[in-house]
Amino acid sequence: MKHTLLRWTVALFATLTAVAGARAQTDQNTATRPASQANYTVSGYIKDAANGEKLIGVSVYVKETGTGAVTNNYGFYAVPVPPGIYSLVISYVGYEKQTRTVELTDKNVRLDLELKEEGKQLQEVVVSTQREDDNVKNIEMSVNRIDVKTLQRIPALLGEVDVVRSIQLLPGVSTVGEGATGFNVRGGSIDQNLVLLDEAPVYNSSHLFGFFSVFNPDAVKDVKLIKGGIPANYGGRIASILDVRLKEGNAKKPEVNGGIGLIFSRLSFESPLFKGRGSFIVAARRSYADILAQPFLNADLKGSKFYFYDLTAKANYRINDKNTVYLSGYFGRDVFGADFGFNWGNTTASARWNHVFSDKLFLNTTAYYSNYDYSLDSDLKRKPENADDYFRTNSRIVDYSIKPDFTLFLGKSTITFGGQSILHDFQPGTATAASAGTVRTFGLGSKYGLENALYLGNEQQVSRRLQLQYGLRYSLYTYIGPGEAYDFAQDVPPGQRRPPINTLTYTKGEPIKTYGNVEPRFAAKYELGDNSSLKLSYNRLAQYIHLVSNTTASTPLDVWTPSTNNIKPQIADQIAGGYFKNFGAVSGSGSEFEVSVEMYYKWLQNQIDYIDGANLILNKYLEGDLLSGQGRAYGAEFYLKRNRGVVNGWVSYTLARTERQVVGINNGDWFAARFDRRHNLTTVLLIDPPARGEGRVSRWNFSATFTLASGTPATFPTNRFQYEDFATPVVGGRNNYRIPPYHRLDLAATLQGRKRTGKRKDDNWVFSVYNVYARKNPFSVFFQPNADNPVVTQAIRYSVFATAIPSVTYNFKF
Amino acid sequence: MKSILSSAFLLICSFGLYSCETVIDAKLDTGPTLLSVEATLTDQPGPQTIRLTQTAAYFDSSPPPVVAGATVQVSDKGGRTFAFTDPDNDGYYVWTPKTGDTLGRIGQTYSLTIAYQGETYQASSKMNRVPAIDSLIFRKEKLNPLSDTEGYQAELYARDLAGATDFYRIRFYRNEVFQNKPRDIIVSQDGSFQGSADTDGLVFIRPIRQSPNPDSLYALNDVVRVDLMSLTPEAFNFWQELRTQITNGGLFATPPANVPTNVTNTRPGGPAAVGFFMATAIRTRTARVVPENVRQ
Repeated sequence: MKHTLLRWTVALFATLTAVAGARAQTDQNTATRPASQANYTVSGYIKDAANGEKLIGVSVYVKETGTGAVTNNYGFYAVPVPPGIYSLVISYVGYEKQTRTVELTDKNVRLDLELKEEGKQLQEVVVSTQREDDNVKNIEMSVNRIDVKTLQRIPALLGEVDVVRSIQLLPGVSTVGEGATGFNVRGGSIDQNLVLLDEAPVYNSSHLFGFFSVFNPDAVKDVKLIKGGIPANYGGRIASILDVRLKEGNAKKPEVNGGIGLIFSRLSFESPLFKGRGSFIVAARRSYADILAQPFLNADLKGSKFYFYDLTAKANYRINDKNTVYLSGYFGRDVFGADFGFNWGNTTASARWNHVFSDKLFLNTTAYYSNYDYSLDSDLKRKPENADDYFRTNSRIVDYSIKPDFTLFLGKSTITFGGQSILHDFQPGTATAASAGTVRTFGLGSKYGLENALYLGNEQQVSRRLQLQYGLRYSLYTYIGPGEAYDFAQDVPPGQRRPPINTLTYTKGEPIKTYGNVEPRFAAKYELGDNSSLKLSYNRLAQYIHLVSNTTASTPLDVWTPSTNNIKPQIADQIAGGYFKNFGAVSGSGSEFEVSVEMYYKWLQNQIDYIDGANLILNKYLEGDLLSGQGRAYGAEFYLKRNRGVVNGWVSYTLARTERQVVGINNGDWFAARFDRRHNLTTVLLIDPPARGEGRVSRWNFSATFTLASGTPATFPTNRFQYEDFATPVVGGRNNYRIPPYHRLDLAATLQGRKRTGKRKDDNWVFSVYNVYARKNPFSVFFQPNADNPVVTQAIRYSVFATAIPSVTYNFKF
Repeated sequence: MKSILSSAFLLICSFGLYSCETVIDAKLDTGPTLLSVEATLTDQPGPQTIRLTQTAAYFDSSPPPVVAGATVQVSDKGGRTFAFTDPDNDGYYVWTPKTGDTLGRIGQTYSLTIAYQGETYQASSKMNRVPAIDSLIFRKEKLNPLSDTEGYQAELYARDLAGATDFYRIRFYRNEVFQNKPRDIIVSQDGSFQGSADTDGLVFIRPIRQSPNPDSLYALNDVVRVDLMSLTPEAFNFWQELRTQITNGGLFATPPANVPTNVTNTRPGGPAAVGFFMATAIRTRTARVVPENVRQ
């Protein structure tokens, strides 16, 4: 049945491409046909007038017909209309609205536009960059966007603007605690988020464990988090998509941005290329805590290292009106070491080609490479006398992928279709040990997975009030050779290690196990009036690669594993419904207030868990230590946002639950997942003091965030027994307690530098305090014997930050 | 490997003096009382002891409740049986050999039977092979990379037995005092860490060789005794998990879980037991920290 479906999808895909091509042809040929027969199309790119950045999500609205389009991720739009003369209204929050008259009487029109930012005095703060009343009008639900301007205003740890820490302030997003890698969306684990940097997945989005993320804010253009109603063009992870798009670089004039902070510094350079036909940006960061610390370290620690750096770069070149190419890359590394050491990092590269087939058919093809690797060394300095004794391990995951995505603009509907092919190359680990001069190398064999997908989606304006978005994605995954596959004993009591009973060897390219999944996607929006709408969505998602981690916070040394003959793909079904309303004064950039309520329920299949005492490192028979279970997550998210005013910002409250049920854990009863947080309240306030007097702008602005969340579940012991001198815990159920709640207030103030006439320089100082009232928020409560007397047992509260952390950062631009 | 990670994390956090651990009060429920078995039989001469106690509330730091009046017997596959008795009712069940006799023989499998309060508990363990410790030497080193104080760091040399995967425990004594901090529980697979390269037949790798050291290192004239003990894979898991569970905390904690036991109630559904029954062959080396044992 699955094969029939695949064939069906392929056929549809082919037909659509053909139809699109034919239509495009027709449009070219029938330019002179009678008016009633043909539609003409106005299409083009929309850019920022100041720097030539293409703008994503700009609304292009035809007044006369009531139809329109939204620019796609590459800033392209197309609106087909019957012949005539039309007024096009182009609007985007934070930019001046434009109205253009377009004559579409006998041919298609190409209309590339540049939008000017609204005057700074009027609109110093843009909470988000999007269409007017986007939350109500857009069919997207469960989607949050943060633009860089907002990011820069939110008080940040050590003054460093951070994408991942900021999205944790959004409804439905949480984390197990400070310093933890990644984030949890609607009850999903951290590996269930597809984190994309210009369409290439990033396997570990963290620097310094989880304190900072790999995204350099100076190079980021747009951040979009999709938690539900995920369109058919996305797939491969089951909880969310974090789509981070990089800036293209200033296409008008060279620009330098930078910042000097307490923990690291940033510098970026962007410039036009080839007389404005292209542009590029290069951005770099390096932490220097180690350099500052050097004078204070004693001689033996002088050579110790703890730093990270990253380099983000992107270039684009417009070949002609129909073709543009983009190249993006990221390279970053964290290095730690004294005597021992380890380092980890991501490398991504993506090449994209935008092609406008006709005025209606747009193609983007992306090819990417993504690599995450780490290595650990027992003796970094390796003095000659130690050359006989060391220990070293390496692990990595590499993806190669190609992904064509078509968009066909038909006015009332926008059809998207395309596919993706990914080759996952896992090297779970190799180790070298040298002891007294003998060197031994040991490696787990590479594992390969081939993931293919085809999709077809349609966004359709059914009536003035009703809009639908529906689609189908078919994903087909094959675990392929070369390699060994194992069968494990099944007659083992639940929760215990299953020994291997059979080893099968496969040759290169030979399929070991294939899984296919039909993933339907559906979303509907019904406008109740001009200012409110109801939305509903359902999606099924499948995930074929899994992060193997049984620690509270994921470590950089966790390995990814593909779905195998023993590990089934993870599947999630989510339904979500929501009510969206705008109210308050309406101005050029939409309503003053936005409010929304969303509810969701999610079913999760084939969730990975671990036997007690699982051995996850360099274990050939890892699968024998894994358990499989199901999950459920549900909740309600309340969101209120004020878009402007002296005090603006948002309040978000999430009431949620996420649970797992695994045979072999907790007697097979449901238990709260480690990252379950019942209540989660966040408040982000941005304060823009009014200007004192005509023509003056306040140089100061302020911001505050407050977070209050339920403590995460924890497993506490009930009893103890003594073995030799060691008091050993006996535990009852999994996650039978909760640690105390988490709350924190952060404040920031920004002082704009004085503007000097004739000088392009723009600078500011950001002063911030993290954890203002120095709460010792528990990351965990754990139970241990006293270090000096193992017979005495005690409960210990562990706080990552136990104090207020002030900081100052200087940012400049010229 | 996880401990390396944790110390790196600690390094970052302590650099900023941000993180903190505070001992707090916690109210815990108490589960049912279970039989706890502490039984390590050896190939060494002298009496062999099995200690039976009961589990207690987690925060109850008084000596564990004694299990008296149980019947404790060990037998081997060769048909020898050993009755362990507790005449003074203190929970220590002892078997005393005749002169020149020992209980444990390498390669033999031993079974334990305990009858207590109408329940019968059983366990078994093989006594695996163990290599000799070839030497025990000392080097003058800093206590840790951050310290200026120096001490003598012990290093034991032993070579893993080739041809099979062997599991060991290393325990050590300073001036005849058993070193009993959680971090003093040292186990090794083939003279290396579990989940490392295949070190079958190699000299124990350096971190394992340097493991029997207290935080303060040793002082001149200390007498250091190191025992190298063979383990079954199950006993290795027991010690590894026991160490994990009593040092489990911080960012990279794993879910708290019960340390596995090999003691089972013969009646399905009857109360379980905790603890472990293990047979181990022991090789010992004792050295004094004196100049002739100190290497550069």
